[in-house]
This record gives sequence, C-alpha cells and structure tokens, in this order.
Amino acid sequence: MSAIRDFIGLVGDGVKANQTLWLLVFGFALFPIFTHFADLPFWNDVAMRIMLLGMAAMGLNLVLGYGGMVSFGHAAFIGIGAYCVGISQFYGISNGWAHLGFSIVPCGLAGLVIGYLALRTSGIYFIMITLAFAQMLFFLFVSLEAYGGDDGMSIDRGEFGFIDLYDPLRLYFLIWCALALVSLALMFIVRSRFGVTLRAIKSNESRIEAMGLSPLRFKMVGYVISAVICGIAGTLFASWQEYVSPDIMHWTRSGELMIIIILGGLATLAGPLLGAIVFLLLEESLPMLLGAVAPAYAENWMIIFGPLLIMVVLFGRGGLTGIIDRLSGTRGNADHKAGPR
Amino acid sequence: MTLTLILEQAFNGLQAGVTLFLVAAGLTLILGIMDVVFLAHGAQVMIGAYAAAAIAAATGNFYIGLLLAVPVTFASGYLLEFLLIRHLYRRDHMEQVLATFGLILFFNELIRIGFGPAALYSDLPPSLSGFVEILPGTPYPVYRLGVILVGLACAIAIHMFVSRTRIGAMVRAGANNPAMTAALGINIKLLLRFIFAAGACFAGVAGMMLGPITAVQPGMGEPLLILSLVVIIIGGIGSVRGAFIAAIIVGLVDTLGRVFLPAMLRLVVDQATADGAGPAVASMLVYILMAVVLIFRPTGLFPAKG
Repeated sequence: MSAIRDFIGLVGDGVKANQTLWLLVFGFALFPIFTHFADLPFWNDVAMRIMLLGMAAMGLNLVLGYGGMVSFGHAAFIGIGAYCVGISQFYGISNGWAHLGFSIVPCGLAGLVIGYLALRTSGIYFIMITLAFAQMLFFLFVSLEAYGGDDGMSIDRGEFGFIDLYDPLRLYFLIWCALALVSLALMFIVRSRFGVTLRAIKSNESRIEAMGLSPLRFKMVGYVISAVICGIAGTLFASWQEYVSPDIMHWTRSGELMIIIILGGLATLAGPLLGAIVFLLLEESLPMLLGAVAPAYAENWMIIFGPLLIMVVLFGRGGLTGIIDRLSGTRGNADHKAGPR
Repeated sequence: MTLTLILEQAFNGLQAGVTLFLVAAGLTLILGIMDVVFLAHGAQVMIGAYAAAAIAAATGNFYIGLLLAVPVTFASGYLLEFLLIRHLYRRDHMEQVLATFGLILFFNELIRIGFGPAALYSDLPPSLSGFVEILPGTPYPVYRLGVILVGLACAIAIHMFVSRTRIGAMVRAGANNPAMTAALGINIKLLLRFIFAAGACFAGVAGMMLGPITAVQPGMGEPLLILSLVVIIIGGIGSVRGAFIAAIIVGLVDTLGRVFLPAMLRLVVDQATADGAGPAVASMLVYILMAVVLIFRPTGLFPAKG
C-alpha cells in the first residue's frame, strides 16, 4: 500500500512542478468537447497532428534539450515507426498492439546502432552524422520498391481490439493516451537520477567522467529512449494518415522537430508540446492570413514563416516557456539560460 | 562495351565529384573557421542556377548568363553574411540550424514566387551540345567534359590561393585556430565575410553548370547540400584538400555504385534479391562510406584543426 502511496506522491510532486505540461495534456482531453459543440470537427485533426508532432518533439527534447546532443536525424525514427505499421500490414498483421510492439524494437535497435556510431563524435560532426544516417534510411525506403518506394503505401488503421480506430474520437483518445503516457514517462525520467546525470553531462562532461560515470552509456540510453518515443509517434502517425511514404522521414521533418522544441523552450517538458501547438497553428493560419491580404500568394506562406524562424532565433531567448516563466515571475529553468554549449 | 560504359560512368562520377567540391569548398571553411552550421548553402546553388538561366534567357546568350551570374552569387553571399550570418557566430549550433533552415524556406519560396514552381530547362548553345571522343569509339558530351574541366580549374585555383597566397595563409590559420589567428591581428571577421562570399560564389558556379544537365527548380540545392556535408565530414571540417579528395571519392562511389552494384550483387546472390537490394544498397553507399570513415577517423581523413 505504501508503495502505491509513494508513487502517487511522486506523481503529485511531478505534476506540481510541471503545471504547464499537465494543463496542456488536460486541455487536449477536453478539446473534443469544444470542437463538438462548436461544430469544428476539422480541428480535431489538427489537434491530433499537434499531439503526434509534440510527442515526437518531446522524445527528441530528451537528447536535444536535456542531453545537449543536437540530433538532426530523428525523423528517421518516426519513419521507422511508421513503416513498421506498413510493412507488418504488408505481411498480413493488422493488430495495432502488434504494430506498436514491432515498432518499439526496431526503433530501439536503430537508435542503439546510430547512437553508438554517432555519439563517438560531438559538435558539428554529431549534427551531420545523425543527418546522414537519417538520409541513409530515407533513401533506403525510397528504393525499396516492394514497399511502395517513392510513392509509399496506403495502410489500414491498426486493430486495437475493442478500440475501433475508424471512429475519429477513439483514434483521438488513443493518441491522447500515448501522449499522456509519454509525458508521464518523460517526467519520471527527467526527475530521476538518470535525468539529472544526463543534464550534468550536458553542462560538464569531463566532470561526470571524473566522478567515475560513463557519459557515453548515459547518452546512449537517452538516445535509445528518445528514438523509441519518436517511433511510437511515427506508428500512430501512420495510423492517423492511413498512408506512409519516405516523405514522413524527409530531413526537413527533423528540422521541424527542432523548430518545435526551440519555439517552445529547450529542456522543458511543456516546451515541445507548446511549440507544436504554435507551429501547427501558424501552419494553418498563415495561409489564411496571407490569403486575406494577398489572395494570389496564399500558398507562399513560407516566405513569412522562414523569416519568423530567424526572428525567433535572434530575439526569442528561451522559447515560449521562457516567456511564460518571465511573465509569471517564476524562476526559469536554469538550463535554457546556460545554453547547450 | 563494358570498358566504354565504365569509362563513361567514371567521367560522370568525376563530374559529380567536382560539382560537389565546388559546393563543399566554401562550406568546409565556413564550418571550420567559425563553427557555423550553415544549411542554406544549397540555396546559393539554386540562386546561381536561376541567375544564370534568367540572364541567359533575357540576353539570349548562354555565356553571358554564366558570366554575369558569378557576381550575382558573390553579392548574395556577401549580403547574407552581412545581414544575418554574422549575428549567428556566437550562437549555439541548434540556433544556427534553425535560422539557416528558415533561410532555406525563405529562398525556396522567393524563387517559387519569382519564377513559378515548375522547373526551368535551359538549352545548351550548339557549340556545347555535341559529343567528343575521349577514347576512340567512346563519345562523351562536350558540356559534361567542360563541367569537369571548369571544376578542376576552380579546384586548382582554390588550392593555389589557399596554399600560396598571404590571404590563403590567413584562411588556413583561421581554420586551424580562429582565436589565435585573431590574436595575431588578423581581421578574421572580414576574412570570413570574404570566404563566405567566395564560397557562395563557387556554390553558385556549381548551380550554373548543373542547370543545363538537371532541372532548375526550387529546392534543387538541398540534395547537393546534404551530399556536400557528407563530403566535408569525410574530408575533415576546414580542410579544402580533404574536401577535394572526399568529393571525388563520393562522386565516383555514388555514380559507379548506382550503375554497377546491382550487377555485382547478381554475381553473389540470385537475381530477384539483387534487383531488390541493389538500388537500395547503392543509394546508401556514400552514407555507409561516411560511417566507416568516422569509425576509424572520427575527425575525417584530413582534419584541419591541429
């Protein structure tokens, strides 16, 4: 009994320390009620995309924000997760739980191999190597004609027993459950001894080594965990769009994940989710805004989005969570002020 | 027949290699001296290609297009460094990735607005569209041969400049130890702006020369950018010599791999497996090469930092 009470206490402490995150997760649970009464079913779709991208970004944030490892290839893990659904369906396996299981193992293994090779380097080399591995997998799937090659393959949503994913609300809540579980898991990881060590490695690797710990091992574990989270997001992503192609792991998606994290705030739990909300709302609203001002150029919204990103880098220190911290007057997370170097 | 094919493909690989070198030469110095991750270098390739195609279309002369596009790309590189990049030197890598990613989106969209989303195709002048026999019975397009020669000439010029001139010595010193170079009274900021503009210029030349061979379209420089990053990693960041050798290796491995690997696999495994796996392995070949190099030489073949 006391173990359960301890656990609840631990969760309570974590929730108290990460109110923004849990407010957002809670908000996503209530969002379908709003869309139902406002009769805006389209926005459920946007919310699902936000949750999926936010989940992947949370996974990446573990290595990027907390570990200081600038991985530019995490789209590959999303892709592997997505292709695990497609390929297992290709061989007649339609059980969604099996898809999830099949995606976790390959993503973990891919994370292990790529992490082992890439983590021997640091700085620019690390960025480029993770990018190169992602490109390698991208071209692998482009050239695998059996699985659709360039055109990709259309897939059916997995069967999760009693949860019929063709009911949009059930799909929504499956994704929501995954998001909540990932948030909970990451909250524990970040607050654990492991998470503290990871952050310590980021601020001073040689000191951790001098303390008798192996930084490489900690980084590897972090890398694998983040790969698996991205893989889970990818699995659900494939189910959501009922289609998978190499596009899902294009290198620009790795960039998108990074943008989401920096927009929201590095090394914070709520940051990636907040960043995903802003990123996708911009993506939805900029064409509309531009269409209202200059209808001929509505499609060219990136001409505003690109400079906007540059502005965020030049002037927006600490991302949105930094701004929220400053507004609410709480002491900000020391991490994103120190910077990852 | 096979010898002809091998020779022809080797020349194609060489052409891909020198083009890659033109993109990688400036980028390796930008990465090496200022530790800046500059992803928008592919946009410079695109700007060069569009400038050449547009000027050629306006004047009706292919050569004037090539000639006038050079100052255009130099100016664009210079302006870009002055307006944005110099503010990024002290930022961390992630912010540089983000800002230059924003630049890519911006430039692609700008080109899309200016020239439309469709690809431009430019015709070669008659003097360049013929074939020349590189060996008796082995015809090869004059234009591609010209690309190889121009690329090699640029490589030699860059090499002479970096290894023989005073400014070149400053560049090498900067790549080896930027802080110490600045302490010796060398204006490393000005030096870097010059390298940046020159690097943009060479990337632009690569784009101009690729124009008639491939489609000139928004985002055309991105595959080239990623391959040139592989080149830089294999060659060692900051090393022009390393970039040249690695570019030729990558160009040859990529081109020859795609042509001959499926056939070679057929000797080892059965036809169906070889036809399935051949293209897949061939397209991954350069990345596998990079991984192998990094396992044995984590800082590349010719690291500039001493």
